[in-house]
Amino acid sequence: MPLSILVPMVGLGISGIAVLLHLLGLSRQATLADEAAARAAWLREFPGDAPLRVTLCHDRSAALIATDTGRGVIWPMGADTTARYLNGAQIKPTRTGLHIDLPDYTAPRIQLTLDAGETAEWQNSLEETA
Amino acid sequence: MSDMITFPDVVNWAVPFFIAAILAELLWIAIRGRGGRYETRDALTSLLMGAGNVASGILLGFITYGFFMVLWEITPLDLGTSVTMIALCFVLDDLRYYWVHRFGHRIRWVWASHVNHHSSQHYNLTTALRQTWTGTFTFMMVVRAPLILLGFHPAMVLFVGGLNLIYQFWIHTDAIGKMPRWFEAVMNTPSHHRVHHGRNPRYLDCNYAGVFIIWDKIFGTFVPEMEEEKVDYGLVHNLGTFNPIRVAFHEWMGIFRDATQPGLTWRERLNYCIMPPGWSHDGSRETSTAIKARHMQTHPEASGTPGLPPLTEHTL
Repeated sequence: MPLSILVPMVGLGISGIAVLLHLLGLSRQATLADEAAARAAWLREFPGDAPLRVTLCHDRSAALIATDTGRGVIWPMGADTTARYLNGAQIKPTRTGLHIDLPDYTAPRIQLTLDAGETAEWQNSLEETA
Repeated sequence: MSDMITFPDVVNWAVPFFIAAILAELLWIAIRGRGGRYETRDALTSLLMGAGNVASGILLGFITYGFFMVLWEITPLDLGTSVTMIALCFVLDDLRYYWVHRFGHRIRWVWASHVNHHSSQHYNLTTALRQTWTGTFTFMMVVRAPLILLGFHPAMVLFVGGLNLIYQFWIHTDAIGKMPRWFEAVMNTPSHHRVHHGRNPRYLDCNYAGVFIIWDKIFGTFVPEMEEEKVDYGLVHNLGTFNPIRVAFHEWMGIFRDATQPGLTWRERLNYCIMPPGWSHDGSRETSTAIKARHMQTHPEASGTPGLPPLTEHTL
C-alpha cells in the first residue's frame, strides 16, 4: 500500500477511535470503592506484602499503603490501577495535591489529587519513606 | 534461482479491516454492555504501538530482508511458489512462530521486545496491535533461516508471516467465548489466547501458538481457559505510564540497568540478558516458576491442575 494512503489512514483511524472512545465516556479514571478494594489492588501488584494500613484519599482515586516492607501508593492507570513502593521518591505539593517523581522508568511520575488537609498529611507520611 | 518474486504486503492492506473490526467490537460492547472493555488512553497507546511497529518495519525491515536474501543466495534449494508450497510454508512458519514466541517469554533479551504486547490491562482488538518496535534487535530472524535454506523464498516467508499476524488479530477479544470444539482443538482461539495474556500464576508462560494450538499441545505448554479462574490481564508488575516510548523501551532499560550495576561477574551480567524475566543474581526477584511455586504454597489444592505443576519437595 502506498505510504501516501497508509499514513493518512492510520492517522485518521487512530485519532477517530480515540475521539470516539472519549465521547463514549471511556476516559473515566478508576476509583477504589473502599479500603478492601484498595487492599485488593495493592495485593494484585504485591501479593506477598499485605497492607498493614490503608488510607484512601477523599475522591477514592488513590490510596496510601503501609506494609512491613515500607510505604507505597495505588493510583489509577486509566480504568485500572497500579501500585509502587515509594523508595527514592521526590514529593512536591501542587495546587491540586501531590506530584511524585519515582526513580522508575515504568512509572516515572504520579499526580495525586488531594484536598488541602490530605496533601499535608500524605506529604509528611510519604517523606518519612522517601 | 528466482529472486524477483513479490508477494503483497498483507499487513498494511489489512489496516482498513483492523480499523473496521475495532469499531465493530466497540459497538458490540457499547450495545450489549459486555464482551470486553475499552479505555481511551490504553487503546490510544496500543494503536500508537501498532503504528510504530509498521514504521519500524519500514525503517529497519531491510536488515531482516537483507539477511534473508543472503541466505537465499547461499541455498541451492528452491521449492517454488505453488499453493501447496505456500500452505506448507505457512504451517512451518507457524511452528517457527511458536518457538520465537516461547523464546520471547523465556529469554529476557527477547522479552524486552515482546513485553509491550502484554503491557495492557485490557484485552480487546486494539491490544492485538500493541506490537513491538524493537523486534529486529532480538535477532530472532535467525529462527526463520531454516525455512529459507530449505528453499522457501524470503518474500513468501514474510508473506505467510503477515498472514499469521492477521490471523492473530481477531483472537484478541473478550467478545467471543468459545468456538466449536473441533476448532478449539486445532486452532488458536480467543479463549486460548486470553489465557496467554493472563498474569494469574496459572496462566503465566503458556499457549504460545500463533495459528495452530497444536504446537502447545505437542510441546506441553497448553493451558485451557478455566471457568473458575477469570483471566487477569496485564503484566506481573503493571506499568504506571501510557507513554508509548516508555512502553516500547522499558525492559531494554531494565536490562541495561541490571547488567551494568557494579559488583557483578560477567556471567551474572550475561544472565540478566538471557535468563527468564524475573531472574536476578541475588534471588531478590521472581521468575514465573517462582511465582507459580509461591502461589501453590498458599493454594496447595491447585497443584497439579492446568498451569500449576504438582507440589514437590522442591516447590514446598
